Amino acid sequence: MRGYLPFKVVSAVGAILLLAACGGGSSSNAGLGSGPLLVGVLAPFSGADASFGPRYLAGCYAAALSINGAGGIGGRQVSCQQFDTRGEPADAVPAANAMIASNSNLMGAVGCTSDEASTVVPILDRSHIPMFCMTGQSEFNKTSAKYFHRLVPPDSFDAYAMIGSALFGPNHAPYKRIALVFGDDIGSQNFVGPAVAALKKLGVTIAINQAIHLGAASYRTEVAAMLLTHPDVILTETIGSAGTYMKEVKQQNGGNVIPFIGTSATIDPVWFQQVVDAIGMTDFLANYTAVDLRLSLSGAGYDEFVTQLTAADSKFGGSNALTYKGKSPTVHLYDGIILTALAMVAANSSDPTVYNPKIFDIANGVSGATVVNTFQDGVAALKAGKSIRYVGAAGENNFNQWNNSQQGYNLVTMDKDGNEQVIGQLSEAQTQQIIDAGGNA
Amino acid sequence: MDLYVAALGFGLISVSVIAIAAVGFTMQFGITNMINLAYGEVMMVSGYAAFYVNRAGVNIWVSMIAGALAGAVLSFLLNRFLYAPFQRKGTNLIGMVIVSLAASLMIANVMLAIVGYYSASYVVDQGPLVRSNGLVLTTAQIAIIVVAVILMLAIHLLLRYTRLGKAMRATAANPTLARNCGIPTQRVIDVVWLITGALCGVAGVVAGMNSENFTVSSGAGYLIEIIAAAVLGGAGQPYGAMIGALIIGMLTELSAAAIAPEYKEVVAFGILVLVMVLRPQGLLAKRGALAAAG
Amino acid sequence: MNSYYAATLLVYAGVDIIACLALNLQFGVSGIVNFSFIVFQAVGAYTAAVLSMPPDTANGGYQTYVGGFQLPFPIPWIGGALAGGLLAIPVGLVVLRKLRSDYQAISLLVLSVIANSVITNVRPFLNGAAGIAQVPGPFADQVNPLTPSYQLLYVGLTVPCVLLVWLVASRIVNSPFGRSLRAMREHELAATAIGKNPVQLKMTIFIVGGVIGGLSGAILVGFIAVVAPSIWLYPETIILFAAVIVGGRGNNVGAILGALLVPVGFEEATRLIPPTIGEWVPPPNLIPAMQWVAIGLLIIGFLWFRPQGVRPETRRVFEGGPE
Repeated sequence: MRGYLPFKVVSAVGAILLLAACGGGSSSNAGLGSGPLLVGVLAPFSGADASFGPRYLAGCYAAALSINGAGGIGGRQVSCQQFDTRGEPADAVPAANAMIASNSNLMGAVGCTSDEASTVVPILDRSHIPMFCMTGQSEFNKTSAKYFHRLVPPDSFDAYAMIGSALFGPNHAPYKRIALVFGDDIGSQNFVGPAVAALKKLGVTIAINQAIHLGAASYRTEVAAMLLTHPDVILTETIGSAGTYMKEVKQQNGGNVIPFIGTSATIDPVWFQQVVDAIGMTDFLANYTAVDLRLSLSGAGYDEFVTQLTAADSKFGGSNALTYKGKSPTVHLYDGIILTALAMVAANSSDPTVYNPKIFDIANGVSGATVVNTFQDGVAALKAGKSIRYVGAAGENNFNQWNNSQQGYNLVTMDKDGNEQVIGQLSEAQTQQIIDAGGNA
Repeated sequence: MDLYVAALGFGLISVSVIAIAAVGFTMQFGITNMINLAYGEVMMVSGYAAFYVNRAGVNIWVSMIAGALAGAVLSFLLNRFLYAPFQRKGTNLIGMVIVSLAASLMIANVMLAIVGYYSASYVVDQGPLVRSNGLVLTTAQIAIIVVAVILMLAIHLLLRYTRLGKAMRATAANPTLARNCGIPTQRVIDVVWLITGALCGVAGVVAGMNSENFTVSSGAGYLIEIIAAAVLGGAGQPYGAMIGALIIGMLTELSAAAIAPEYKEVVAFGILVLVMVLRPQGLLAKRGALAAAG
Repeated sequence: MNSYYAATLLVYAGVDIIACLALNLQFGVSGIVNFSFIVFQAVGAYTAAVLSMPPDTANGGYQTYVGGFQLPFPIPWIGGALAGGLLAIPVGLVVLRKLRSDYQAISLLVLSVIANSVITNVRPFLNGAAGIAQVPGPFADQVNPLTPSYQLLYVGLTVPCVLLVWLVASRIVNSPFGRSLRAMREHELAATAIGKNPVQLKMTIFIVGGVIGGLSGAILVGFIAVVAPSIWLYPETIILFAAVIVGGRGNNVGAILGALLVPVGFEEATRLIPPTIGEWVPPPNLIPAMQWVAIGLLIIGFLWFRPQGVRPETRRVFEGGPE
């Protein structure tokens, strides 16, 4: 009789024991791995759109502090790092690839604006990096990229909402003559077509459809031409040039600003400052409204966000995190990262192919799910074996099959500090009427 | 028709803004042989200098002087510590252009680090609106036009009637000969950088007033219209730059009235292409613009 | 280092090398200061894009552009190269006449800005500022572009192009044609005196440079699947000029070295500047801004300490001639 068990048996038994120890017991976090985790903020941090990156980074800081304060993801601490795309696609490709190549612990990416999304989304998707992107481009309305998530409205729908605001908005009779003033940038191209189509179908007069060259030194003649058509309201975006344009409007119109409705992208501290500097706070508050995806900006989820944002402000001096308190991109991306983190915990896995689908489930909530508002509550509920729905700082999300969150629109304005204030809503029927008129993009 | 008259008035403002800048740029090129691609950035820095003074409560017209000073000092230092050493080393024209581009990259990004990406905007009392025969201009805008006219006259007087001006023209035409005639070309060049730097500074402030707000990335935008005006008029020719500014400034506004406004720059540049085809050395040819070979 | 990033660096290096070789022919060897060079790369990219894209009603119909012939490889690349050459003809006729080189230079600079402005504003032509996205690369139907094998395939397509261009460029530089070009660059009057026609020489090399520049654009667009005006602003040309000068103008090895140093080396290595320094987390824009400052300093540093370039042009001296 042999004194030793054959090596094969020993190793087999050992393997079985090992598997039993690692297997998905809810008490063990072995599925989540160990070591720090990274969220990549892939956005412009230099060049003409240098203002975009920092506001996304602020949201990431807040999310990381919220997650780490609750013990991290299975004990793993989350941190944020910026990856500058320099605002154009050819520079964004190496940035994205460098980000992926140098960091094997990427849990997700946020940012990816219209400047670079077309090139960057396929790169992130093929490396299975869950992403929350800030682009309204129509090509992502029905994307096949499984890892793509979007919490901002598609540009075409923004256009419909603006028309809704013009026709059904509070505090004014329906506007009869609408001026469309959009620039030649990437985002604006997606607004004008649907807007014109919808307005024509609805029988509303388009006073003028004016395309302006963004970044021009001045728009005096353009404004003069626009004023000659006597519009009731101006629908606009014109990032970077809005101040220049609106100043002329006030000046040439005898000191009177025409009411103007902005897209969701105008809810932005830089835009706010430019236009307020141009026409003054009183005129701004009296005449500006905008549209945004339904955003609650109140409740336990939002409170947690503000707490962590305040902490981020002091911890990352110079980040000005707190200035982004009421800014929807910051709030949305914070939620996106929390969703990703909860998905990892729920799937008990650090493998994105496993936890990516869970993002959808946790955002929309399966039936009978417990509603949670913070990462901490979510982890506790998951530990107790419940399924969860995360209703976070921005409120509910409803992903459609293409991971676009469609939530209906708020009609909003900004207060004197540039924070978003909800002033009204479009009903389902109103929204549908306009979408039908414009053609579903 | 009202729109065209208004456009004409607006064109005057555009012309003024471009002219101040283009004259400075073209003089830098004409006298020191330097295509200074950092010119737009110096305008931007001067704009910010005036901004800080203005925010401290100083009237915009006085702040403009601060801007002029900033432009003069920065341009002088740029030449003294970067351009001149490279030129002494014998770097050729193209190398100098690359050096100036590298400088513009650095200036713009250092400003980004210091100032951030928020836009700056002046506190300007626009004054009453002046409406006459279809023209619609505020008093402040008229003041800009006046400033431009005064500066153009000053340059004209400088170049025509002062010894310094004559020395400048001599240095531009033939530096070696100028030196041999006893002109202290080094000192002349220093002064040129100070004067054109001051012009650049004023141009930066005026451009900021014109556009209502500006950021650290505005410099690149300024540069192109300036170069276009300078090339149109004949590079190195101050009077040419004034004419070039006139054409470009007027054309952009008139075409915004006549055609779709998003093409306004395209039209102006199209004229430039036409001139380049028909008269490639620009409207006012500088002696030696044409190459020797047949 | 994963295969995608490695492939990105290699393909970008290939594209930049080809572009620098073209620019070296135009500028280094012939002395033509083509400050609109980036437009030739853009024309090649756009041509390759509209040749290989499906008609603009496809992909949801959210882009508007001309063309859309859905032609297979290698037609888009050849088309891109030809487009670059064709563009060189009118541009050359306008600018290469009797103009001092610095006038030529800024005129061409403005031309490149005009081109960018036109493409941005005439939206139905090439989809304006958004550019053309989802451009199918070569063999994208046969090999899934999102796999490492495709990356390998792409590098495998790029490298022969680089070698071919280098061969052509070497042939030109070392041929009688090349000697005529250098003679014209050094002393145009003398060259004319011995019967060389500078305008014809310039036009020829301008077109050759345009063809090669167009090819580089076609290769780039097939890889990143997007072409937009933001990619080809005028500073890009200056970066390529810096590359040629830093590497050493007038010789092909210098152009290759320059391509590896400036657009690839400087621009990519600066991404490795650490985001945090110990405990201190700098404000968000600071490090990216400093990356650009570093690029500027590197260029200035090289121009100061090594103005003849990393690999200077070999002076061709003939025995028995005057020293």
